[in-house]
Amino acid sequence: MMKLPGMHSWLLLLLLLLLLAGGAQAVDSPRQPAVEPALTLAGHADGPSLVVQGVLDPDIMQTLLSAFHRRHPTMTIRYIDVSGRPNRVPDKSLQDFQPDLVLSSAMPWQYLHANNGNAMSLGAQTLPTDWPDASRWRNELVGLTAEPLVIVYRREYARRFGIPRSHTALLRQLRQHRDALQGRVVTYDPARSDTGFTYLAEDARQSPQIWSLVAALGEAHTSLTDSTSDMLEGLISGRYLIGYNLIGSYASRAARRHSELKVQRPADYALVMQRLALIPTGAPHPGNARLLLQFLTGRKGQQLIARQTPLGALHPAVATTGDMHTTAGITRFIRPGPGLLALVDPLKRRSLLARWQQAFDADSRTDSGSDPTTSEDSTAP
Amino acid sequence: MTLAVATTTSLYRRLLGLMALAMTLLGALLLLQANHSAHQGANRAYDRLLDAASRVLVEQVSWQAGQLRFDVPASALEMLAPGGDERVFYTLVDADGEPISGNVELPPLPADTSASLPGDRDDRFHATTVQWHGMILRLGARQARLAGWQRHDRFSIRVAHTMEARNALAGQLLQGSMLRLGGMALLMLALVTGAVGMALAPLRRLRQALRQRNPDDLSPIALPVPRELRELVGALNDLLARQRRLKAHQQRFIGDASHQLRTPLAGLSSRAELALRSREPEQWHSALVAMQRSATNAARLAGQLLSMSRLQSPDAPTEREAIELRALARASVRQALDRYPGSEIDLGVEACDAPVTVHGSRWQLEEALANLIDNAMHHARHRVTVRVTAQPSRLTVEDDGPGIPSEQRHEVLKPFHGARHSGSGLGLAIVAGICEAHDGQLELHDSEPPPGLSATMRLGAAAESRETAS
Repeated sequence: MMKLPGMHSWLLLLLLLLLLAGGAQAVDSPRQPAVEPALTLAGHADGPSLVVQGVLDPDIMQTLLSAFHRRHPTMTIRYIDVSGRPNRVPDKSLQDFQPDLVLSSAMPWQYLHANNGNAMSLGAQTLPTDWPDASRWRNELVGLTAEPLVIVYRREYARRFGIPRSHTALLRQLRQHRDALQGRVVTYDPARSDTGFTYLAEDARQSPQIWSLVAALGEAHTSLTDSTSDMLEGLISGRYLIGYNLIGSYASRAARRHSELKVQRPADYALVMQRLALIPTGAPHPGNARLLLQFLTGRKGQQLIARQTPLGALHPAVATTGDMHTTAGITRFIRPGPGLLALVDPLKRRSLLARWQQAFDADSRTDSGSDPTTSEDSTAP
Repeated sequence: MTLAVATTTSLYRRLLGLMALAMTLLGALLLLQANHSAHQGANRAYDRLLDAASRVLVEQVSWQAGQLRFDVPASALEMLAPGGDERVFYTLVDADGEPISGNVELPPLPADTSASLPGDRDDRFHATTVQWHGMILRLGARQARLAGWQRHDRFSIRVAHTMEARNALAGQLLQGSMLRLGGMALLMLALVTGAVGMALAPLRRLRQALRQRNPDDLSPIALPVPRELRELVGALNDLLARQRRLKAHQQRFIGDASHQLRTPLAGLSSRAELALRSREPEQWHSALVAMQRSATNAARLAGQLLSMSRLQSPDAPTEREAIELRALARASVRQALDRYPGSEIDLGVEACDAPVTVHGSRWQLEEALANLIDNAMHHARHRVTVRVTAQPSRLTVEDDGPGIPSEQRHEVLKPFHGARHSGSGLGLAIVAGICEAHDGQLELHDSEPPPGLSATMRLGAAAESRETAS
């Protein structure tokens, strides 16, 4: 019958993963695996304890956790940064720190955990009653931040080719100035980065025109990376002129430090991703995790997120001050919902990647960015 | 009386209570049924959704360029969560039941699940409720074949979701049913209350009629009543009729008694008047003698009337005890000899050897025997014999007087018969009443040898059997 050994092992991996609540993480920035907590806020020796696991930069996390620690000074808070870890393979080195709270921007994987019953209830009074429905699911998953996906370009790009205000404008500019832009464009590699794959899938849900954009990106021999930090690094250094689908929070921070960078939210539609938090079923201190969530979703915590971090706040009372709602009509929240499950389906993943590869390689076969995992697909006509 | 009050509750309340109980039982049954059909309805509605989602998923499975493609549409998965909060599961399995893709490995449908969607000719989709990893899931499975030119492998798609939306819909349906049922129950209660009130109206009318009745009014109740009450009214009318007869009897008795008492009193009065007109002491003496006799007769009559009323009164004490008849007879004879000093009549007792004991009222038997002896002494010429016999226990008083013709014997047992005179006419009636009270009977015969009267008190089997038993 069907000979599909590859599919089967995918599934086995997936099932293995379900047993481990804290396994799935997005690859935002490649880092050396950190077995030790990236951050420890010491409380009393016999005081309460809280272990948070996430993929946020420790300095952003420091801002949030310090504010929380001031409210609960006896609590010992540890933050485990799992950025850059392979996200589907259980990591034995993390067993020492069983997380009470898992924060991640890899929405499909977070959703998969919660859907398959590996998350605890967030508690009755944890979330504010007016917390947006698009940022919660079943009182097991909660979106803490709203981070739009943006186009980042250098000033000289705008001077030479115009401002990439929308997906359409970007497509037109890529086609018109294909030769000038050879190798100067950067975006996520959907094959290597789950985050990039999620964005590609969401783009594809918005419009099939995305495949024209992928083809145009392919023709421009776009560089493919697996993290926003890499893209920003290249943009700052001048290696790239423009980057597509960068995480807005990191881009804004970089643009504040480097004036040659400009951040553009596409005017036709802007995807907004959320960092989803869940309390895994094996959490040793779920009560403390609920306290932290209560703080982060409260007005004080959301103000802190909006003003002192590059992340975007979600609280309706706080978020109105940001730019999120001025463009409410074009904002496309990626909502936690069953549709995300399609993105973790191995067969779906393979067919979408094949489609992507096909569009990306439509022009030339000599692309250097092609990934070994997708090479078997590229033999298809 | 208190016992009767405790057990006899209001008929109205009883009827209402029973009907309320019946309605509650019926309501519970209807609720169970409504709950069942609400869940069935919800399942039917959402099974269609599972069916549609599985159809969409099946359409996305294809064989292209030597590879299996499964382009899971997000919309099909969204469809599986109609309420948005359901947990959603799907598995693609090959013909051997080996999982190929999906977010979990869903179990196959239980073997006995053969019911497809009602009204659906497509038997390739089945759904059932299963428990899986501590969750209650609605699991649907669709069989399909690869569409395409190269391969036609069989495969199936299993889809499942948790029951939140179904339960919510079932809850809504059930709530509607409960509201309707509650409204109907209230309406029924009102109707039943009215109906029971109307059905019991004849009873109320009867009660009012009885309450408004004059206490002297013993006429039959003439009220149209339903069949169930007719028997009661009949019994009441019987009672009233007996009351009427008793009242008539009592009035006649009182009339007779006053008439009987008037005669000796009138005699006394006239004798006294005569004597007062005379100046001679001899006349006075004879008048006083006659007056004394009359007064004695009147006193005896009054005594007998008292006995009669005591006998007839339902409140009379009827303490029963064991009585030895021979001793009783001897004592009565002794008293009679005291009452008739200097009589020439030979009064004696003939008794069997063994003691004869009956269970009865001592004063009544004494009174009866005294009456019989007095009666005999009045009429006897030379001899009065009191005889005690056993088995059956009998007391017989025999005299050698003129006797009573057999055709009159029945009459003399009635009070104030007045046939055989010089007596009050009550004596034999009292004896007959006492015999009846002892389940026995007074029999009158000719003496052996005649002439003469033999009066036998046959005492009843009940009084006797008590004796033999003890």
